[in-house]
Amino acid sequence: MIFREVEDRDLVAKARRGSVDAYNLLVSRWERRVFNYILRLVGHREDALDVCQEVFLKAYQNLAKLDDESRFAPWLYRIAHNESFSLLRRNRPDGGEFQEPAPRSSGPHLLPVETSLAVTAALDRLSSEQREAVVLKIYQGFKFEEMAEILGCPVSTVKSRVYTALDLLKETLAPVPRNAGGGR
Amino acid sequence: MSCASFDLKAYALGEVTTQERRAVEQHLPNCVACTEEVERLGVVQSAMLTLRDEEIPRRIAFVSDKVFEPRWYQRLWQSGPVAGFASAAMLAGAILVHGFQQPAVAPVAGTSVLEAQIQARVETEISKRLDAVVAKAAQQEKTFAARLASTEARMQATIDGDRAAYAQGLEVVHKRLTNIVKSSQIAYSGDRP
Repeated sequence: MIFREVEDRDLVAKARRGSVDAYNLLVSRWERRVFNYILRLVGHREDALDVCQEVFLKAYQNLAKLDDESRFAPWLYRIAHNESFSLLRRNRPDGGEFQEPAPRSSGPHLLPVETSLAVTAALDRLSSEQREAVVLKIYQGFKFEEMAEILGCPVSTVKSRVYTALDLLKETLAPVPRNAGGGR
Repeated sequence: MSCASFDLKAYALGEVTTQERRAVEQHLPNCVACTEEVERLGVVQSAMLTLRDEEIPRRIAFVSDKVFEPRWYQRLWQSGPVAGFASAAMLAGAILVHGFQQPAVAPVAGTSVLEAQIQARVETEISKRLDAVVAKAAQQEKTFAARLASTEARMQATIDGDRAAYAQGLEVVHKRLTNIVKSSQIAYSGDRP
């Protein structure tokens, strides 16, 4: 993991010196993960792909503004976060504050099907902020500090969102048996 | 320690220090409620991980693709000979601007000589840089022509070789066919009564 971070940093440094190949390598390294992160936020494959393209373009154009080359991933996800929420705001029907979760796409290769459907439904019940926190933590594997950097909020807020989301997911995906604690 | 002092969610998510992890692991065998909580968190995470990442429908356009193509001024700036010419022009421009911005002074003896010297230096500098750019371009052209000639010669040799081999093969086939025809004729004339 540390090795990988060092490699990213080197690639960023090279890309900043004008190496197109270095940036292409960064794109191919991160495109799938960033695409899935965006997909879980916006819920639509074509939209996710467009946003993903925009993210990498913006990252390339603003690479000189990245203060710390070793922080490429959180910085890239920060751009992805901003672009995704910008799209969600543009797409909301009433122009009000975005609250409703986006419609989910069902993946073509989800096994076992029942569990995946249950997870999809459970994620749908979360607010967009809670869902994003869970996606960053469980699917993308970021630490709380990195998430705070990506989301632009304090670590305490990040933890609160993740913990609340976990409590809600637990109720759906790992409910307490009805007879638990009673009749024993 | 009471159950409330353990952050079981942080433990399940791997966000605890080694010391905190050890403390939780020492506590769990003695507490059914906390064990169940950790198990439920594990179930949630396992269930979530059944939702696999999707393949990206098509790859993201790379920097070398159209979408990332540099603008005209970036291309101009990045091209070697043109940049050399541009820098020479900029230098000449800067010297001229500097010359015009100088406060007007009363004409003194030797001013025209000084101007002529500056002009001569500017011209020398421009011509030196232009010569360098032109020489570089000529060298590139020469190299390209040499490579083109060598590639053409190689291609011609390959074509000649192929042509000879084809003619040879054709001749062999022709001879074989002639032999077959001849032997057929002999056999046919021998069969006749």
